[in-house]
Amino acid sequence: MSITLDQITKRYQGAPVVNDVSLDIGDGEFFVLLGPSGSGKSTLLRAIAGLTGVDHGRISLHGRDVTHVAARQRGVGLVFQNYALFRHMTVADNIEFALRVRRVRAAQRRERRRELLRLVALEGMDDRLPTQLSGGQQQRVAVARALAHKPEVLLLDEPFGALDAKIREELRRTIREVQRELGITTVLVTHDQEEAFALADRIGIMNHGRLLEMGRPEDLYARPATRFVATFLGAANLVLARHTARGICVGGDPVTPPGSASTPAVRDHEVVAVLRPEDIEIAPGRQELESNFLGLGTVEQQLFVGANERLRVRLNNSADAGPIVTSEGGDTGDALLEVTRTQHDRRGYPVSSGQAVALGVRRLHVLATPLSSFTACAASETQVLTLSEEPLLVQLANRMKTRVSTRIEPSLGQPGESSATALAGVAVISAAPEAVAALQWLLRQGAEAVLLLPPQAPSPSRVLIHWLDEAARRATLAVSASLLRHVSAEAVYVGILPQDDETHRPLGMRALLDARSEAQAVHGLEIRTELGFGDVSQELTRRLAEAPNQLLILGVSNIEVLAERFAALLSHTRSPLLVVWQPAEGGAHAGT
Amino acid sequence: MPAPEAAGKGTLVQPNILPGFGLTFGFTTFFLSAIVLIPMAALVSMAASSHWHEFVHTVFSERALASYRLSFGASLLAASINMVFGFILAWTLVRYDFPGRKLIDALIDLPFALPTAVSGIALTTVFAQNGWLGHYLALGGIKVAYTWVGVTIALTLIGMPFMVRTVQPALAEVQTDLENAAEMLGASRFYVFRRIILPIVVPAMLTGFALAFARGVGEYGSVIFIAGNLPFKTEITPVLIVIRLEEYDYHGAAALGCVMLSISFLGLWAINHLQSWRRSRLAEGGR
Repeated sequence: MSITLDQITKRYQGAPVVNDVSLDIGDGEFFVLLGPSGSGKSTLLRAIAGLTGVDHGRISLHGRDVTHVAARQRGVGLVFQNYALFRHMTVADNIEFALRVRRVRAAQRRERRRELLRLVALEGMDDRLPTQLSGGQQQRVAVARALAHKPEVLLLDEPFGALDAKIREELRRTIREVQRELGITTVLVTHDQEEAFALADRIGIMNHGRLLEMGRPEDLYARPATRFVATFLGAANLVLARHTARGICVGGDPVTPPGSASTPAVRDHEVVAVLRPEDIEIAPGRQELESNFLGLGTVEQQLFVGANERLRVRLNNSADAGPIVTSEGGDTGDALLEVTRTQHDRRGYPVSSGQAVALGVRRLHVLATPLSSFTACAASETQVLTLSEEPLLVQLANRMKTRVSTRIEPSLGQPGESSATALAGVAVISAAPEAVAALQWLLRQGAEAVLLLPPQAPSPSRVLIHWLDEAARRATLAVSASLLRHVSAEAVYVGILPQDDETHRPLGMRALLDARSEAQAVHGLEIRTELGFGDVSQELTRRLAEAPNQLLILGVSNIEVLAERFAALLSHTRSPLLVVWQPAEGGAHAGT
Repeated sequence: MPAPEAAGKGTLVQPNILPGFGLTFGFTTFFLSAIVLIPMAALVSMAASSHWHEFVHTVFSERALASYRLSFGASLLAASINMVFGFILAWTLVRYDFPGRKLIDALIDLPFALPTAVSGIALTTVFAQNGWLGHYLALGGIKVAYTWVGVTIALTLIGMPFMVRTVQPALAEVQTDLENAAEMLGASRFYVFRRIILPIVVPAMLTGFALAFARGVGEYGSVIFIAGNLPFKTEITPVLIVIRLEEYDYHGAAALGCVMLSISFLGLWAINHLQSWRRSRLAEGGR
């Protein structure tokens, strides 16, 4: 491996800007770090370069640990967004700078300079001053300068940011050619997805300091694992669907996507489906559709963009289609879908604003997230409204691009009573002494997890994860991974042993390692691990009291245990708690 | 009719899109003449009206030569000291953020605002043999007050803000990205300083040097208290001129003034020339 990052964390004033990033980049690979501004991608690049120290983790270049090695000794070339050329030196002197520092003889320097200028197509510009060159030419000089001392790794920090579109494309081609010719391992940071697609062998997508996903551009586009990647890479319609025994249902009928039909649902549950605008078909009626029927809609807006036609279509829920809800649509029952068609399709069936159409789905991708939507539950309307406007809940829903629906449950928490309709996604209740009963009740009603929210809880900077038994591990990790992709917090798995002694300690360490490797392997999530001792409830209470802004994710397989052992923790918590229930396989599934 | 007029002045005035060149140029000439050129011309003509023999006698007398040495020597030394310490001060103020930075930044300008005599009295109090610092320096055998050392200290104080205030904006212009880029290319801290930071800041430092030097040569108020004004030893030229004036020797005073004028002018001209030479060398792209 050319570049290996192992759990890199960089904090700025206590808050992590780069959060547990692990990454392997192969020899000669062109890796693009893509993310919105403030996602930590530039900080990560500067950490690789050695211009920023890291608070945690290790960086290796070509097998050599360089975590504590000065920038000048790392053998890395860096190209800055603003070129950072030495304005008082000529192009020749700029390019030869690294060689001059290394006391290379003049003849060799000249030869290398000529070679580099040819590489970046700037022959004959040797004696110009940077101010006499255009922006694109200056950036070419910067690239040549960074390569002069034959570094093993080339880093580019938004190199095209200050250039106009035409020159950008030209320079993009130059950089790709140079990279191919030299076979140099390259990392480029950008916020421009088009740039990432054009250059990358692999793309890593960052948000809130975390490396969310990485992979080949076409794989990431076709099969994103997270909402953020689905919507950040190209346009996407996120739709809440149900995963049933019959397949994936959007609305009434199953829209079984080819390829993913092989996984029958264990139990009927809510999922988030990604519909790419180009995968939606429109036709005059249901019979004319070539793909699976999604619903009926009205063309709301028509936008022309070059080769493709972009439409906004409002879905109407008719009785036979069943309710369709896009994640961002709220509870109104109808929602806007973005559709793109080629000119060819458009000529075959031209539509105009206001026209009624039938929509079909050619392809659908289901996100592996258990946190599909939030439902605020309380006994009275005022309580529900206050709860649904809690800042942390609103923030989470915004970041997850999902909805917060409300539900008044007068019989909340009363044994024997049950709700009219089953719950889906995450149920949210406010922290109160009687919350334990409500929590158990909601989980029995079908909620994937229950979020216990104290009033005005802040956004967590640290998430503690614990499961009471191994049966709950898989579900707890899935919920943790999904949540942590949307908050900039450190994740810590807390393993708790009854007591600290020679016989228990190795077992405890083993459990920690297992937890970490499973999080890494299954969810691509980096977590820290810590070992605690004593009573689980007391230990968790103690850790939550240690610092503010913490959130606890607690996994259980037996719901009764919550009332028996965690009543104190659950009823008096000042931190948000997320309880995940995963019934043991083959065990009693009480309540359903 | 503006057209023929402009044509007539063709060699002097380039046709310019901005109007009002004639007016502003006229005002500049008038203002400079009234404030600078005419008084200077009067000085020169007064010196010239004396007999040349008398002129030479005054200008090259032992006492006058000693005063030139002190005046120009101490000014050069003070400006050089300022070049080093003023740079460090400016560096600290630009590069670091620490509590009290704003206060120190404001303190820099104090020598501008204070009547120079006040600075002189303050310095003498501190550096006199029984003063706070002078007391300890005297134990080490160093005498500051009433020696050339004192003169230099006074001139350093007076010239300091000129250096800091000219170097500060130039330093602020050196982006940390440039230093990072040089570091990435393998340069050591010292190499970065020598090859990246200094070349960008040197023009400003030269300007600051010229200003501090010019200010030092003309300084009077702060020096007279700390210098003691002993003829041949601690007497600066401006003091000698005042002495001549008090003796009603106007021609002598004018003659000394002319000498100061020409040496200062030559010095400043040389520094300006050095700068434009540097610039042209850069523009040609030499090494």
